Amino acid sequence: MPSSPLDNLARIGQLKAEPPAQVEFDGLLRSGQVRLADAQHRTLSLESRFDLAYNAAHALSLAALRWHGYRSENRYLVFQSLTHTLGLEPAQWRVLDQAHRKRNLAEYEGDLDVDEALVEAMIRVACAVAERTVALGPVPQEPA
Amino acid sequence: MGIKATRKPSPRPRKPVPAPARTSVADALFSATQQRVLGLLFGQPQRSFFTSELIALAGGGSGAVQRELRSLEESGLATLSRVGNQKHYQANADAPIFAELCGIVRKMLGPADVLREALAPLQNELQAALLYGSVARRSDTATSDIDVLLVSDTLTLEQVYAALAPAEQRLGRPVSPTLYTVAEFRHRQAKGNPFITKLLAGHTLPLTGGTDAFLAAG
Repeated sequence: MPSSPLDNLARIGQLKAEPPAQVEFDGLLRSGQVRLADAQHRTLSLESRFDLAYNAAHALSLAALRWHGYRSENRYLVFQSLTHTLGLEPAQWRVLDQAHRKRNLAEYEGDLDVDEALVEAMIRVACAVAERTVALGPVPQEPA
Repeated sequence: MGIKATRKPSPRPRKPVPAPARTSVADALFSATQQRVLGLLFGQPQRSFFTSELIALAGGGSGAVQRELRSLEESGLATLSRVGNQKHYQANADAPIFAELCGIVRKMLGPADVLREALAPLQNELQAALLYGSVARRSDTATSDIDVLLVSDTLTLEQVYAALAPAEQRLGRPVSPTLYTVAEFRHRQAKGNPFITKLLAGHTLPLTGGTDAFLAAG
C-alpha cells in the first residue's frame, strides 16, 4: 500500500524497507500484549511497570511498522512512525517520546525517576497502539 | 488595560455592546502577526529562520508574514541572508533597539507568557506549574527544550501535551512537561529528591496563580 511519509523516511535512510512476515508480526504483537498486561499490575514497582510498558509500546509499535513493510533499529524512529502507521495523535506519541528520553537518561545517569502520570499515560497509549495494531489484520501479501 | 477606564462615556445611550475581551499589553502594541514574527525572531535572536519556517511557525497567512519580514528587514530590525534560493531572517543584533525588543518579547511574548496562556484553560486542575531549566535561567539556545513542572491530581499527560501544543507551535520549540500528583511532589520534596531539590533551588517562573502558595506550603 502506498504510504508516502514512510517511503520518504526509507528514502532518507531513517527506515529500512522489508516485506512484512506474519510470524514476526504475530510474535511482536503477542510479546507486546503480554508485557502490556503485566505493566498494569499495581503490585509491581513503578519502575518495573515503566520498563514493561515501554517494552510493550515498542514491540507493538514495531509490529505496526513491520505490517507496513518497514523496520528500524532505532526505537525513537519506531515510535515516531506511529503517526503514519496507526494515525496516532501527537499528544499520544509525545508520551512515548518522553518515556524514551527518560529511559535513555536513566541509562546514562543510572537513576530512573518515574512518575505515575507517565506510566499511566504509557499504558493508555500502548493500549491504543495494541488496539489499532490488532485492527490492521493479517499482514498484506506481497503483490504477485 | 486602561482603555476602558480612560474612555469617556458615550454622548448618547447606545445599544449595549458586548464587553470587550481583555486586551493584553502585546495585543495593544502589536498585531497578531507581528506578535508571532517578533516573538520568534527576538525570542530566539541567535537563531536564523528561513521564510517558510517562519510562515509555518507563525501560523498566519503567508502574505501577512512576508509583509512583516520585509518591513523588519527594510527597517534594519532584522537581517536577511540568502542561502541558495532560501531567504534566512534573523534578529539584527546591531539594530539600535535590539536589546529593548528582546526585552519586550521576553516579557510579553516569551515562553512564560505563551505557556501561561496555554495552561490557562487547565488552571483549575493545576496545583502548581513552574518553568525551570535553561529557559528560566535564560541560558537557553535555539534547540533547548522548554522544561515545565506541573502538579495535578486530575490531568493526564496526554491532556497536558495537547494543551501545550499551541505554545510549542508559537515558540518554535518543544516543551517538556513533567507531571506529578500532589502526593508525588510532596513526597519528593520531603525526601530531598535530587531533581526537585535542584529544580526548586534554581531559577523558576510560576505559570499559574496558585503556584507560589503551593510551593510555600510544602
